[in-house]
Amino acid sequence: MIFLKRQLPLAITFVMGVTFAFQYYIPHPVSEEAITNVSKWMQIISGFALALGLASIFHVHAVKIKRQVPGWGYSIVLYAAMLATIVVGFKSGGETKVDGAQTAFGWLYDYSMVPLQGTMFSILAFFIASAAYRAFRARSPEASVLLVSAVLVMMGRVPLGQFLLPWTWDITQWLLNVVNSAVRRAILIGVSMGQVALSMKIILGIERAYLGGGKDQ
Amino acid sequence: MIGIDRRIIFLLIAAAVLLPLLRPFGLPIKVSPEVRGVYEYIEALPERSVFLLSFDFDPSSKPELEPQAVALLRHAFRKNLRVIGMTHWLTGTGLADDVFSRVAAETGKERGKDYVFLGWSPGAGSLIIAMGQDLYKAFPSDYTKTPTQGMPVLEGVRSLRDVNYMVSLAAGSSGIEMWYVFGKDKYRFEMAGGSTGVIAPGLYPFLRSGQINGLIGGLQGAAEYETLIKRKGTATAGMDAQSATHFVIIILVLLCNMFYFVLRGEKGKVR
Repeated sequence: MIFLKRQLPLAITFVMGVTFAFQYYIPHPVSEEAITNVSKWMQIISGFALALGLASIFHVHAVKIKRQVPGWGYSIVLYAAMLATIVVGFKSGGETKVDGAQTAFGWLYDYSMVPLQGTMFSILAFFIASAAYRAFRARSPEASVLLVSAVLVMMGRVPLGQFLLPWTWDITQWLLNVVNSAVRRAILIGVSMGQVALSMKIILGIERAYLGGGKDQ
Repeated sequence: MIGIDRRIIFLLIAAAVLLPLLRPFGLPIKVSPEVRGVYEYIEALPERSVFLLSFDFDPSSKPELEPQAVALLRHAFRKNLRVIGMTHWLTGTGLADDVFSRVAAETGKERGKDYVFLGWSPGAGSLIIAMGQDLYKAFPSDYTKTPTQGMPVLEGVRSLRDVNYMVSLAAGSSGIEMWYVFGKDKYRFEMAGGSTGVIAPGLYPFLRSGQINGLIGGLQGAAEYETLIKRKGTATAGMDAQSATHFVIIILVLLCNMFYFVLRGEKGKVR
């Protein structure tokens, strides 16, 4: 069992990791055929992630309902909405439109999912305004720099600000293109170096957390 | 005053959004070089060039990214480009198909001949690699289940290497960064990005290094693109509301700081 649980996955990871790291630099037809096939495998495996996610969400909310944790009623709503969508989806054959006419599934998408998601996102504006009023204070020199930059960018990114104080446009462009880019680039390089190091550790079998934490690990 | 009831703030924001929508003041929109970069590249493409538009967002980002998609499609169809559409976000599929159908009907373009919407397929990065290797293996059929092989719009297109320009309209991951890493870097096509306002600043390093040749950021970016194609849409209409909202937030922040310093001064005097 330990071979299947530990040595085989480590061997597969090592072989595939090394092979496809080198594949990138080998434009031979055999190498190209290999990446074509493997990318198709990866797509199929990604498809399974959906089924896994569905099973996981069912399990998490079943436990909540069983234990009647606070807010368990919402889990029932989730179950009802999800099952209704699945049933309607199957009945409509997964189609949102048939011969230009909207199906029940398409109706669910257009008149429940689209407005619900839009509403969730749009109420952020209200909370951001409230949070900005309470928390955006010049308590320290760093906070003051952040505050001034934010006000300038908010002015420079809208026509009214550009109209009243035209110079905020240039300052905003400079802040985004120079200061922001430099800082973001530093963060990106740091994160990327970390990703390379982690990938190397996984390929070489040093990092094994992805194998799970069974007793026989 | 510093502990103002947040319902008053909510009312102020609601008024700032609603009033300009009811009575727009229509200020001119200034165009940034990053948005102009996308426009000029599309403008320079010869007729029937292949333009790939990836709708990497879902309905939550519709107000910002749909106007960008509409403006880009109007421009591409006006230039008589062949447009390939797709999405990496499953929940954005219906939305993307609707935008394609609407703009195509408005410009008299035909599905399968002038454009194709491939829909969604799992895999994200691996899907891009699959498309880069063989588009027909990655998408054997389009969103309407029509086989992609032999479609007039895809004539001469085998993989991403045959794409002349691509724009990813992204609300997060999977999006622009992924298209660059798995797509442009290996399959050598020119690309740009369109994003929500909140993630746009994070994409400037890619813009500065030339990894993307243009960036349409948020509703402002969409309004700039509408200005460039001389066709006002929902983004231009929404900019007045955005202007007013920004100003309400700025005034609130300044007021809050004023009260904060007054209170701090009074506390200092008491001590």
